[in-house]
Amino acid sequence: MFKIIANREVGPGIFQLVLNYDQLPQNPEPGHFFNIKVSQDGSEDPLLRRPFSIFDFDAAENRIEFIYRVIGKGTKILSNLDNGTELDVLGPLGTPFSLNKSGGNIHLIGGGMGIAPLYYLAKKLKSSRLTLYLGAANKAELEFFEEKFKGLGLECHLAAMEEKLEIKGSALVLWLNYLEKNTPDYIYTCGPEKMLAAVEKEALKNNIGGELSIEKRMGCGIGVCLSCSCEARDQAQKNKRACVEGPVFGLGEVILGA
Amino acid sequence: MLNKEVDNINKELTEADLNLSVVMNSQQHQQQNNLKLKNPLITASGTCGNGKELADFFDINQLGAFTTKGITVKPQAGNKTPRIAETAAGIINSIGLENPGVDSFIKDILPETKNYSLPILANISGYSQEDFITLAEKLEERKELAGIEINLSCPNIKGGGMIFGTDPEKVYQITKKVREIYSGYIIVKLTPNITDITETALAAENAGADAVAMINTLSAMKIDIDQQKPLLANTFGGLSGPAVRPVAVKMVYQCYKKLNIPILGLGGVRSGSDVIEFMLAGATAVGIGTVNMIDPTAGPRIIGEIKEYMLQHQIKKLS
Repeated sequence: MFKIIANREVGPGIFQLVLNYDQLPQNPEPGHFFNIKVSQDGSEDPLLRRPFSIFDFDAAENRIEFIYRVIGKGTKILSNLDNGTELDVLGPLGTPFSLNKSGGNIHLIGGGMGIAPLYYLAKKLKSSRLTLYLGAANKAELEFFEEKFKGLGLECHLAAMEEKLEIKGSALVLWLNYLEKNTPDYIYTCGPEKMLAAVEKEALKNNIGGELSIEKRMGCGIGVCLSCSCEARDQAQKNKRACVEGPVFGLGEVILGA
Repeated sequence: MLNKEVDNINKELTEADLNLSVVMNSQQHQQQNNLKLKNPLITASGTCGNGKELADFFDINQLGAFTTKGITVKPQAGNKTPRIAETAAGIINSIGLENPGVDSFIKDILPETKNYSLPILANISGYSQEDFITLAEKLEERKELAGIEINLSCPNIKGGGMIFGTDPEKVYQITKKVREIYSGYIIVKLTPNITDITETALAAENAGADAVAMINTLSAMKIDIDQQKPLLANTFGGLSGPAVRPVAVKMVYQCYKKLNIPILGLGGVRSGSDVIEFMLAGATAVGIGTVNMIDPTAGPRIIGEIKEYMLQHQIKKLS
């Protein structure tokens, strides 16, 4: 059983959803997602669940957090739910980020709502050389994230498409500005697929390993319907399901839509 | 004596008295060829993987039977994404029969089903009559299988599936060929994208099918009005979910009046009352599809709801 304990706007159209749970099949790791039924009181609209990667998790407090942007019907309904509402939630689902690269110089590159799963990741990585490169449409969309990451004591570079922060542009361009003088050993990235494709291309060109978390239109979230199939780059391999083998993939593992 | 009978009548049924089992008779007129199910629920192809995904959530042996993801002669990567669109009370899919091919199915997937005690049905698709013959030959005498479901209705592949399923003559020919080769239980899955489904249903019966399954998805599309183009990469897909249930119930009802073989009714089932509705329309067994994608434990929940209905209406035996 999951209950909403907070569901507040933390940026323009961006919400923080905090749930209290009584039990989970296992504790989630960074990169895992949960599939939330947003339709209420026996309504079948929308029919499918909505997948959200975890933003934060606190086992001691039985608390799990998500950040979402109101885009369509499902997130609109979700944003109107009050504290105390009980939710039907499945998870944790998918394959999480690996945390075994904690040692070296690590960059986290996030675009838009793709920033959300990087927070719990940054918390668990505990590397002393961890830098964030974050991009969004404008400053207002980034303020909440900036405050949270700075709360972890991390170096945080910001870019916006509509106004000049450190630069005016994307997280990708921002990151590329630093790539040469501060070359990472490993990267983690999440954001629009085009951004992921560009980050992946630059990283592979520079022999930098890493992982990405992809967003795909899902049906079931549990691997039965094959709606979210991703084509493997290695043609000898079968398609990979974003909901089971993903949403986290190694750089170069699947073909991204550029 | 009379008192005792009155007592028996008055005795309220309890869960232990209920019998949910159903038998799908075979046209082969031998009892051992009948498909015996502990309850009428059969998972619909493509909504339950190959068992292990749902088995993470509950013991799938509680179900009546299990249908595998559709298989073809050769491996298929499926269609481009997006492959799924949501509509009012439904979804439109265009997966395109992504599957590892029949050889890998036999080698890698079938052995994994040996831990299950429920009947397993393999769903087969093809682009030609020869494809169906090949599949029937390869699956004949696979002891892991209780039967096969011939998919003559997939709307998501070009030049096969639904093209056959809309022509009663083709349905007859393919079913007859498969019947000559395959000795297990044969279900023919029919498309609703046709003027009169009783014609294809009768063709399947006349060709020796043991049962028919109806309905596959309804041909449909959705347009993304922001992008101003079709949402699915494949443009068209198949509509399923609660939206299609009344269409399916009507088609089952129509066919029940004309057929002698059992009907596996499916389309938008998401509760025990939906199963009862299909059975009242004439279905012997009932498929659950889209609901598995939303609620992986729908199977056991629905079985519980059927029992509630039986207790409420004092029905001891479902079939």
